[in-house]
Amino acid sequence: MNPAPYEAAPLEIRADLAAAHRRARDHLARPGAWWDGRQRVALIAETRHALQCRLCRERKAALSPAAVVGMHDSLGELPEAAVEAVHRIRTDPGRLTRSWFNNVIRFALTPEQYVEIVSVVAHTVALDTFARGVGIPPLPLPDASDGAPSCHRPSGARPGPAWVPWIEPEDLTEAEAGIYPTARPPADIHRAMSLVPAEVRSFFDLCEHHYLGPLEMRDFGREYRAITHAQIELLAARVSALNRCFY
Amino acid sequence: MLGAAAAGGGVPHGDRLVEFAEAVLADSDEQLLRARSALRGSLGDAALVDAAAVVGFFNAIDRVADATGIPLDPERVPQTADFRAALGLDAFTQARS
Repeated sequence: MNPAPYEAAPLEIRADLAAAHRRARDHLARPGAWWDGRQRVALIAETRHALQCRLCRERKAALSPAAVVGMHDSLGELPEAAVEAVHRIRTDPGRLTRSWFNNVIRFALTPEQYVEIVSVVAHTVALDTFARGVGIPPLPLPDASDGAPSCHRPSGARPGPAWVPWIEPEDLTEAEAGIYPTARPPADIHRAMSLVPAEVRSFFDLCEHHYLGPLEMRDFGREYRAITHAQIELLAARVSALNRCFY
Repeated sequence: MLGAAAAGGGVPHGDRLVEFAEAVLADSDEQLLRARSALRGSLGDAALVDAAAVVGFFNAIDRVADATGIPLDPERVPQTADFRAALGLDAFTQARS
């Protein structure tokens, strides 16, 4: 039998991958820095619900998403700006722009809340896309844990070249220890969510088990998965091209 | 990797892997059933699990990159200039944002 949460899966799921998914699910259900557990579970549900949103489908089909106005089909649990962020990030990420981001955070969301939304959506997409790939149902929504958000904002976070503030390695404090690799400077993708450090830790924990660890990805003398480095990179490149991801 | 990715870029079983990635991201369950079955037949269950994990992660990390507006890492700008131009990547919305 497979380990939880994949006891019923009809094919063998790697134990380390299942364990990473358990950690991710538990992380998502706990209070974050800026959203509580109930709101984070609502963000997961809204991420899934976005795929059925009529406005998102019409925008996706339009030459420009900004040309289509209307209301999202939402579950009604989250503020309107959070719904807009979740739906756009889930359904049309390749056409997000800085002006869209500025509008989203101008009145209703802080950059910190926004980054946490990005993380919850990304965790959900990783787990749900995996489930679709292997042909099993998405994991059930977790039970939200009680408690208030920590409201921890890293003291060293400051504006950089991204839309959101981030932490340069030299500005890390003990509270953010371990969010970046130690052997080399962090890539921009590693810094992207550092405004909410716990999300970096959790997301890159998933990375090591879905993809490869930082040392494994550069060790071309050995294969760590049932597919080779070349096959992994081919998949990664094709997915990113389909998503029109420039980075 | 932008076009139909014929022959899977010269990677063993690349065509099956590309078909699988495309099917996971597409809406058609029938297309995915075919692609999944073909991949399992060629590479086995463990490869299917690992391929689904990679597709899942990059479908997620693309969103982190796009939603936070991170630029290309400075050292990669000159390294990738030729193939960004050849593949038309500089026309992507994020490249201009």
